[in-house]
Amino acid sequence: MSGIAESRAALAHPMIAVPTHDELVEQLFVRDLKLFVGQTLEPAQQKIAAQIAPAIAASGSNSPVDDLRLRMQSFESFTTWLSLKRESQRQLWAAVEDCVERQADQLEALAAVDAPKGTLTLDPDFVAPDYITRGDIHLMPGGNAHDDGSVLQGAVMDRGGAVYMLGRNGGMLNDLRGHTAMAHLLTVAPDINPGRILDMGCGIGTSTVPAAACFPEAEVHGIDVGASMLRYAHARAEHLGAAIHFSQQSAERTTFPDASFDVVYSCVVLHETSPEAAINILAESRRLLRPGGIAIHLEVPLLHTLGDIWQELSSELEAQFNNEPNWRGALTADYGQLMRAAGFTEIRTGYQATAFNGRSALRKFGDTSDGVFRSWFVTSGRA
Amino acid sequence: MKSRLPRTPNRLDPIPGRSSLDEQTLAMIVSLASEVTVLRARLDTCERLLVAARVLAPGAVDSFSPDAAAQAERDGLRQHTLNKVFRPLREAALADVAAASHATGGMEMQA
Repeated sequence: MSGIAESRAALAHPMIAVPTHDELVEQLFVRDLKLFVGQTLEPAQQKIAAQIAPAIAASGSNSPVDDLRLRMQSFESFTTWLSLKRESQRQLWAAVEDCVERQADQLEALAAVDAPKGTLTLDPDFVAPDYITRGDIHLMPGGNAHDDGSVLQGAVMDRGGAVYMLGRNGGMLNDLRGHTAMAHLLTVAPDINPGRILDMGCGIGTSTVPAAACFPEAEVHGIDVGASMLRYAHARAEHLGAAIHFSQQSAERTTFPDASFDVVYSCVVLHETSPEAAINILAESRRLLRPGGIAIHLEVPLLHTLGDIWQELSSELEAQFNNEPNWRGALTADYGQLMRAAGFTEIRTGYQATAFNGRSALRKFGDTSDGVFRSWFVTSGRA
Repeated sequence: MKSRLPRTPNRLDPIPGRSSLDEQTLAMIVSLASEVTVLRARLDTCERLLVAARVLAPGAVDSFSPDAAAQAERDGLRQHTLNKVFRPLREAALADVAAASHATGGMEMQA
């Protein structure tokens, strides 16, 4: 996302909302504001925390992160940093929504794909889970389940997601997590040739298309709670030439029969649910697998591997003020234990190196993280 | 202007120590910074296009020097901006002057 000139034809797929000159500058401003908040303001807060931390450690506190939070709140720069961080997120969505609304008719026309290769199945009676509706995830107004019968909320998530990730997750395609999940699959099963693949909590399909790209012969499905997301995902996948079957379902309990997939995976979904739902999703991924099938659940790096009280507090603030409903639950879970409880064998937990292409990427998986955006936490298991 | 898409997220937890006015003020400043950034980029684009079209020589804007009449007009514009933007500070100062004058028994004070 650099430079001023962008045209629909030059982009990786034509469904993405294309900004005008001014809209692009506005979006770049948000990106740079987020970098300023994270790289200029946050390190100062980290230094304050480092000065306070020894006293908290010496006190033998049972809740050191809560204590740190209370002490940090006495510094005005801390609360200002937090406010500006949240405001930068609100600015992101506002800027992207303006851009999407301006070209709403064009996006709707593009979404009307003739002779699609994949399918879209929406459930008008679907009720989104509480953890989706309690607070709008990432502060995206309306939330993941918002639906006005159009593709617009999906378009907002697509353009917003690329700006939100600061272009570090595959630029406008935002697809490196999906490729990383496929790279993990090929790391643990180099010769696998799956017949059916399911992406749970697929959103607008950024992580689903890589499965179709890596396994063009497979029948690929994606499920999510948001109808607008799925409508957009369907159109986006078609424009990318991927035949994918999208349906509106909860990953906790799908309508697919037992043992109907060879591979089931999710990408950064568990931390947007609840501790109970995460257990249900792991169990559902096990139920859907044929004998010998593989489940993969990719997440952001775990909290207990960070080992830094400021990082823990920073993560908690992100969870609370950016509406991440199961941040602590998903990032502190013992996935080895959870996967065993769900009935998996050959369980792995660790870090998969970020892949730009799941099939050709370096198959690097191990106990240590190379850092945010350079690797992703992954747990996997076999049915 | 009515938006098609929702614009206010559900659930914005209060940040301890921040008043609602603090949050509103910060949001307005960020929005203004965004607008100024967009405006500056647009001016930059115009300048570059004018140079490319040979309407302006490179560096023409930077070497521009207003004549006396233009300078006077620009001085007035700058004063107007200062008075407009910093009006609240001036009003607050005048209110303090009045309060101080009242407290000290109505001594003559001029702002």
